[in-house]
Amino acid sequence: MTENERYLQALTRRHFLTRCGVGLGGAALANMMGNLAQAEEPRVHNPLAPRMGTLPAKAKNIIYLHMAGSPTQLELFDYKPELKKFDGKICPKEYLDGKRFAFIQPGKNPVMMGPLFEFKQHGKGDTWISELLPHLASQADELCVIRSMSTTQFNHSPAQLLLHTGDPRFGSPSMGSWVTYGLGSENENLPGFVVLASGGRTPSAGKSVWGSGYLSSVYQGTQCRNTGDPVLYLSNPDGLDRKTRRRQLDALRELNEAQHRAIGDPETIARIAQYELTYRMQTAAAKVMDISKEPKHVLEMYGAQPGVKSTADTKNVGDKPLAAASDPAFANNCLLARRLVESGVRFVQLYDWGWDHHGSSQPEDMKTHLPVKTRQIDRPIAALIKDLKQRGLLDETLIVWGGEFGRTPMRENRGGRYGTFVGRDHHPFAFTMWMAGGGIKGGLNFGATDDIGYYPSEDPMGVRDLQATILHQLGLDPFKLGVVRSGLNSRLIGPTEEGKVRKEILG
Amino acid sequence: MLYPIEREMMKSVGILTTGVLLLMAPLARGERIDFSRQIRPILSKNCFACHGPDEKKRKAKLRLDTREGATGERKGGPAIVPGKSAESEFYLRITHSDPEEIMPPKKSKHELNAAEIGLLKGWIDGGAKYDEHWAFVKPVRPELPKVQNGEWPRNAVDHFILARLENEKLRPMGEAGRRVLIRRLSFDLTGLPPSRAQISEFLNDQSKDAYEKLVDRVLASPHYGERWARMWMDLARYADTQGYEKDNTRTMWPWRDWVIKAFNDDMPYDQFTIEQLAGDLLPEASSQQVLATAFHRNTMTNTEGGTTDEEWRVAAVKDRIDTTGLIWLGLSVGCAKCHSHKYDPISQTEYYQLYDFLNQSADADRGGDDPKRALPSPFYLSQHAELAQRVDKLRSKLAGLSGEQAALKAEFAKLSRELNDKVMKMKPPAIPVMQELPPNGKRKTHVLVKGDFQSPGTPVTAGVPKSLHAWPSQGPMNRVGLARWLVSEENPLTARVTVNRIWARLFGIGMVETEEDLGTQGELPTHPELLDWLAVEFRETHKWSLKKLCKTMVMSATYRQSSQIKDSARERDPRNRLLARGPRFRLEAEMIRDQALAVSGLLSRKMYGPPVMPLQPEGIWKTVYNGSNWRTSKGEDRHRRGLYTFAKRTSAYPSFLLMDAGSGEVCLPRRIRTNTPTAALVTLNDPVFTEAAQALARRVVAEGKDQRVAARLAFAFELVTGRLVQEVEMAAMLRLYEDQFKHYLEDGKAAMAIASNPIGPLPEGVPVTELAVLTVIANVLLNMDEILTKG
Repeated sequence: MTENERYLQALTRRHFLTRCGVGLGGAALANMMGNLAQAEEPRVHNPLAPRMGTLPAKAKNIIYLHMAGSPTQLELFDYKPELKKFDGKICPKEYLDGKRFAFIQPGKNPVMMGPLFEFKQHGKGDTWISELLPHLASQADELCVIRSMSTTQFNHSPAQLLLHTGDPRFGSPSMGSWVTYGLGSENENLPGFVVLASGGRTPSAGKSVWGSGYLSSVYQGTQCRNTGDPVLYLSNPDGLDRKTRRRQLDALRELNEAQHRAIGDPETIARIAQYELTYRMQTAAAKVMDISKEPKHVLEMYGAQPGVKSTADTKNVGDKPLAAASDPAFANNCLLARRLVESGVRFVQLYDWGWDHHGSSQPEDMKTHLPVKTRQIDRPIAALIKDLKQRGLLDETLIVWGGEFGRTPMRENRGGRYGTFVGRDHHPFAFTMWMAGGGIKGGLNFGATDDIGYYPSEDPMGVRDLQATILHQLGLDPFKLGVVRSGLNSRLIGPTEEGKVRKEILG
Repeated sequence: MLYPIEREMMKSVGILTTGVLLLMAPLARGERIDFSRQIRPILSKNCFACHGPDEKKRKAKLRLDTREGATGERKGGPAIVPGKSAESEFYLRITHSDPEEIMPPKKSKHELNAAEIGLLKGWIDGGAKYDEHWAFVKPVRPELPKVQNGEWPRNAVDHFILARLENEKLRPMGEAGRRVLIRRLSFDLTGLPPSRAQISEFLNDQSKDAYEKLVDRVLASPHYGERWARMWMDLARYADTQGYEKDNTRTMWPWRDWVIKAFNDDMPYDQFTIEQLAGDLLPEASSQQVLATAFHRNTMTNTEGGTTDEEWRVAAVKDRIDTTGLIWLGLSVGCAKCHSHKYDPISQTEYYQLYDFLNQSADADRGGDDPKRALPSPFYLSQHAELAQRVDKLRSKLAGLSGEQAALKAEFAKLSRELNDKVMKMKPPAIPVMQELPPNGKRKTHVLVKGDFQSPGTPVTAGVPKSLHAWPSQGPMNRVGLARWLVSEENPLTARVTVNRIWARLFGIGMVETEEDLGTQGELPTHPELLDWLAVEFRETHKWSLKKLCKTMVMSATYRQSSQIKDSARERDPRNRLLARGPRFRLEAEMIRDQALAVSGLLSRKMYGPPVMPLQPEGIWKTVYNGSNWRTSKGEDRHRRGLYTFAKRTSAYPSFLLMDAGSGEVCLPRRIRTNTPTAALVTLNDPVFTEAAQALARRVVAEGKDQRVAARLAFAFELVTGRLVQEVEMAAMLRLYEDQFKHYLEDGKAAMAIASNPIGPLPEGVPVTELAVLTVIANVLLNMDEILTKG
């Protein structure tokens, strides 16, 4: 350790002790009493240093697979043979009165629509899974399928915000920020919270779903990209190689040290450290993001194709990207997700766009395009589960899958008409999500909906419950993880006590 | 290894404990326990959630936030018996041995420590005196405190600062050198580094008041308005799009230009307030006054399929209340939308009374954002004036032509006609503005149960919270009335909040660090008397002039100190809250970029107009409905100041975002500074900064008088830092130069790339190796701590 580093360490210890509330407890109190010398050794020297939550953790990492637009539960997991009987019948009035939908027009007699695809039961829990997800079905014993989810928001952007930030309005930190705020990152050379997007678009609510809101921007998600630099501005300028960069940083260090001698500001030393860390991140991030070195059988298991560009980025119908079954973007991201958690990234968030199957245009046709989207995700997700299991990582990695709401048992009648394409409208009252690994009970079917899938009929589970349970599995107390702000204890699970850790689904 | 950041998070952050850090201000000297500083924070944190202002959550009908509540008769005796802790149920309960009986209850997850209990005991035994929260008491101008070192103070500010330092046995630093001062001042007041000419003018000014003359020059710069407009845009949640899923483009920039001009004209802050909140309702409102009201039309519009306009109209009105509270009152009134405030005395009913003031505008979350008005903005007016001038010129030339020059005359006449037509046809774009509903079409306002727009409760009419200053007897009960109430001299908050905000921009941290919260949960001021003195000075002496306020601050010896840190100060006051040295902290995102453009000679100083699109990596704009594309601006628009960059809410300009700028979705009262690797990647690798390094290399070659290597490096160093290079610094640059010269001589392809991509072909007659190496060095200089920092 150089003298500077020693100094810096001593300094930052004090600096965090006096400035930063993370994990302080007794230290903060001691500080308040003006008795710094007796403060307990702080556990946190830097905001992203790994640390333990207050509860015993079941999972160390999380991979959250968000299907933006919201996939249909009625074609994928929530099998409703009863609904078939009503297929084509006018929807009863009581399901429409006083309800708000995005496009269904209650007065225009929307009809009920039975499941468009077949289902079979799988695994020890006899879990109903759609024919569209054969690979995932082979992993049924790992899945805890929650069919009784509901939310309060029926538009994409507020619903995504509610799910990921705990507030349908903008400005609150995302789940990934809260988790890295609470637990730090295991790898100092990589961001603690990484976001991977596929499907040609970022989510409706924009980058706020991985923003850090009122927390420090240290905790914001870093988006790793499929094209160009995997991390923004990661590569050196054209014509400037790594050796030159090293020489530059050596010179920069000398200049900064001169500045430090003249002014004596500890922040200058922190600056030197920031640049050294950046240098290491350039290598580490480029390395972990390069999936081309994976063995062939692993690539095949995921269906990953290194370096192949996503067709969704270029192919549009109207203003929507057209999904292609051959598009490997999501598969690549799943493989990357495994590599990232393996390298100690705490929170990996995947967003896959293209699940908003209204039936109002070709890319949104449930009959022809839902199978394309499921082809894109089925094999990679199954591979991800298998791969993590083989590596002994599934127990410590929580996987969460789902959209921001569900889809209606009615067929959407946008403009009061039915056209060529088929689809369902947004349905906040009931939808399906599943979790796997990370101390969640596998092979479990939790909650249920009524005969037509309109409302939860058993063990209803809200967004707050989901958030509380996720934090709990990571060893964070969802009720305590918060900051006092605007006179409120601001938390992921919101200011009220409605959220619960759903112990029923824990292994 | 560690992850350095400059300022981790807000004061109140606490994860395992709930926000225990407090009291940057020293406890009051002497024996008396100070209610505001020592007792209220304990009560507020541990007790008010159940025994505070929120009547719905109040337990056992006991309230401890007022003396009446705490000492009033109750069954079993008053909770607090002044002078007698042993007889006070309150004290018995906080010291109870039975875990079932102890307060705060275990399940509240609050716990009092021995020191806190000791303070509470002392306070009860001393008579349980309640003071009103300091910020709700109107500031009066305090006496200047006495100081031992009578030589040091230059103005009143210094008396307060020095008195505190002397109390703490700290000594202030001497004045910084002139080069440091001019750089500090330029960034603080214009957001730009000083030019070489400005530096030499100051250095060569031998007069006694050279510094004051410099301050006046800087305050008069048109860039002053741009700097403060950027701050105001954060507060006003400015963006060039509507937000939410579709996030379509909308025209708001004429309002941004109004703000720039208002700052440059030094419009008094009370007028600045009134015009933005209610310019449309002023008698014979001018077009500029109506334009000003676009301020509150910066709220988002949700045009996603199937959204209920009313839901998002309500959301916008709430946002206007919250934003108004944060900007002018320094209070987070927002939580009272769902329930009465738990800590500050604002009830839910009072929230909706405030809401009623803003619930009467005609806008209603409509996709087209109407009502809109086409109003001449400063941009339009300056363009119009320029064209009109050209017409005049042509006409006078035309008049001067003789009869023989008929062909020419006809040509001129045609030109002049065409130009005149253009002037006549010029139409400013329409922008969303505030417009009041007709008297017979007013909305009825209700308390919204749990804030839900579909659950109207008790009807309410406009009014202001009882705990704040009274409504004037004649004020109209509308937006103008509200705006006047905010800037009335009875308001204890607005002047303090504003002074604190400006102070924070200049000194790095506000006297109250929680700029957005001067309420009971906010931090206590480090220098309460100075804050009050400045608030009174600002309102009464300066008549709300921000330029005069800035001048008072920057003329102080406190501001002019060297930022050099002595060991004792580093130990005692690492964050410089007491100001025993000059401010030193990282510059804002836009300043860092503007500086790189300025020192390399690329910066366009063009003011006003539609937003521009500088270089941005491919694929950033991939939002759901992106009919709009990022098309890199051509010509000088590629190098305009940061505040003119197109601001898309769902996809903010990435390099700014990585350096703590906001996204314009909600009011951003202050930016929390961080130093992350992803931010360092911006200044190292962002093509904007690469281009600046290339331009700087070319500038050094083109403008340098001495073509020797050392001279070029010294010149580059001076251009970037504004000061002369020291020997060790020169040695570091020379070593890099020699080493890299060899490298680029061998690799001509790399040399060409680093010297020309993205800026363009090499200038003639300059060897590529030379430019490549200078670019590499310029890249280093633009990343120096000194450069990223205001010193």
